[in-house]
Amino acid sequence: MIEIKNVTKTYGKKGSTFQALKDVSLTIPDGASVAIVGKSGSGKSTLMHAMSGLDRPEAGEVIIDGVDILKLKKKAVDTFRSEKIGFIFQSFFVQANESCYDNVSLPLEISNSKASQRKVRIEEALATVDLSDKLKQKARNLSGGQKQRLAIARAIVNKPSIIFADEPTGNLDSTTGEKVEDLLFSLNKKEGSTLIIVTHDTDLARKCDVQVYIKDGQIEQTVGLAASTAGKEHK
Amino acid sequence: MKTIDIVRRAARSLRSAKTRTILTSLAIAVGAFTITVSLAVGEGARQYADNLINSNVNPKALFIVKDKTLFEGGAQRAAITEYNPDAAQTAAGATIVSMTQKDVDALSARSDIESVVPTYNPVVRYMTFDGSSKKYSADVSTYNDSILSESAYGSLPPQNQQLGDTDAVVPEAFVDTLIKAGVIKEGADLVGKKVTLTAVQATVTPTTDQISAAFATGGQAAVEDLVKPQTKDFTFTIRAVSQKSSSALTGVTAVQIAPNAARAISEFITAGTNEYQKYLGVTALVKGDTDPQKVKEALNNAGYYTQTAKDLQGLIFTVVNTLQGIVLGFGIIALIASVFGIINTQYIRVLERTREIGLMKALGMRGRSVSRLFQFEAAWIGFLGGIIGAAIAVVLGVTLNPWVTSVLGLSEGTKLLIFQPLPIAGMIIVLIFIAMLAGWFPARKAAKLDPIEALGRSSIVIV
Repeated sequence: MIEIKNVTKTYGKKGSTFQALKDVSLTIPDGASVAIVGKSGSGKSTLMHAMSGLDRPEAGEVIIDGVDILKLKKKAVDTFRSEKIGFIFQSFFVQANESCYDNVSLPLEISNSKASQRKVRIEEALATVDLSDKLKQKARNLSGGQKQRLAIARAIVNKPSIIFADEPTGNLDSTTGEKVEDLLFSLNKKEGSTLIIVTHDTDLARKCDVQVYIKDGQIEQTVGLAASTAGKEHK
Repeated sequence: MKTIDIVRRAARSLRSAKTRTILTSLAIAVGAFTITVSLAVGEGARQYADNLINSNVNPKALFIVKDKTLFEGGAQRAAITEYNPDAAQTAAGATIVSMTQKDVDALSARSDIESVVPTYNPVVRYMTFDGSSKKYSADVSTYNDSILSESAYGSLPPQNQQLGDTDAVVPEAFVDTLIKAGVIKEGADLVGKKVTLTAVQATVTPTTDQISAAFATGGQAAVEDLVKPQTKDFTFTIRAVSQKSSSALTGVTAVQIAPNAARAISEFITAGTNEYQKYLGVTALVKGDTDPQKVKEALNNAGYYTQTAKDLQGLIFTVVNTLQGIVLGFGIIALIASVFGIINTQYIRVLERTREIGLMKALGMRGRSVSRLFQFEAAWIGFLGGIIGAAIAVVLGVTLNPWVTSVLGLSEGTKLLIFQPLPIAGMIIVLIFIAMLAGWFPARKAAKLDPIEALGRSSIVIV
């Protein structure tokens, strides 16, 4: 379970500050698929960064599985991310000059997983995204959709409990985008991992169990399972 | 993240930028090449010098003088010194304090010294060979029995046994000239031949009393006899013709005779002068197992100045070390230049790979691991540069060794470039460390990157 309590994040120095998140509270149950919807600059990415431990809001609590990650030391936050979080980005961020195998291997190496287990896990992850035949291919030789599927394989190889997807279909055409969406949702259902998608695409958002609309650093509206919503609602 | 994984990622990342990697390592390779060559030259020169000394100097030998300036090249000699009746003049016109017969006797009487041979100065005007009236100029030196020489013709006495007083050894270099002159038909003819050395006594200015006495007894002719230089012939039988040796320091063009014969000539030519029985120095052999260094200290306390075989070795090694140091210096300068190359390249790599660094950090990679990733890349560059430089140096050295040997006129089989694996391996390890040190600055920059900023902050607006 992810609980966000009264989180405030301010950017900039004295005189020219900007509040990206203003006293935001939100609860996400395990295994849910959540869309954080908002315009550019609304604070949706900042919210994702705060939930994933990439960013440190100056006030509030981010409690994941009972632990406030804002109270953890940097090293512990890094370990938390390497073990519990998977990331998928709009522009893939796969290493073009490395093979698919080495791309997927990176999270396993970072989390110090045993070398003997890696091969099985990597092959499993690549099979899940249907890229088994591209194992030794350089990532640069893949198409956009394949690259994003490779990124998904990299995100799931460590079997994380939460997967963050930042505009996962933003760089893909609609057909390819739909395939990637289907893959993400099927993984969410099959593996039971929490899926948090940051997007401004309302069609994609509607496919999620919960939609969190954010504007000017505040949650405007939360739509979805009543049980899964909590915290401050505006309007 | 495990070190082995980081090292592998670093190597892969370098492979994807081959041209730049090789160019950067080539800068280090220049330094590595120079250092490898300097190590090889130093080792080669030291081994050569060692060989040279071992075959020319008896380790038990001491060279003893009374004038310290002889060992110092006269650097600290005062412009004007007090007159000393025991002083002799060197060729350069400087006065030096000589050893006298009394010194020789005192040294011979010591319990730690086996034998003493003064350095005689048997200067002869010319030499003639039996069966020819041609006169040849001649250098004469004392036969050194403490080293084993090889003869081209005839036989030399075994080690530590001197020539007979009427024996002579001539160098092989004489053979060609003498065959051309028709003195001999072949080199072997020299063995058993008689050679006569003609020495001239130094002119002594007669006193007025001597002149009047001579005039009284023999008139004008007796006076002329008195001032006419005296000459004397010393005849020797050639026992052997010594072979040319690349490792021999002396005796290349000199006729070698026994110490007694050398003393006879030396005393004849200096008779009546103040140089009679005065020697620049003496060569002494220490007795049995006595440590030459201890004898040296005892002699120095007794007012002599002594050099051991080790000192001579040290002297040559100093020269070798200085030369090696100069070459090494150039190598180090090249390395310093390459260090900036590494820093520059690695900074560019960090900039280029900002997103990759951001991703790795987002995935939970520790700053320390990111830093090590870039430092290991630099280490690979250093390793590669070291290997390239050393390999070129070894290949070039091994190929050029025979040529260097022939150009310098060294005997066959002498190698002036000696490559030893251990110092080269040590150098490569040092290069790896230097490269890592150079890679530290860019690596730190990479480690400090904020993952959100590095991944591009399209969704974060700062007003």
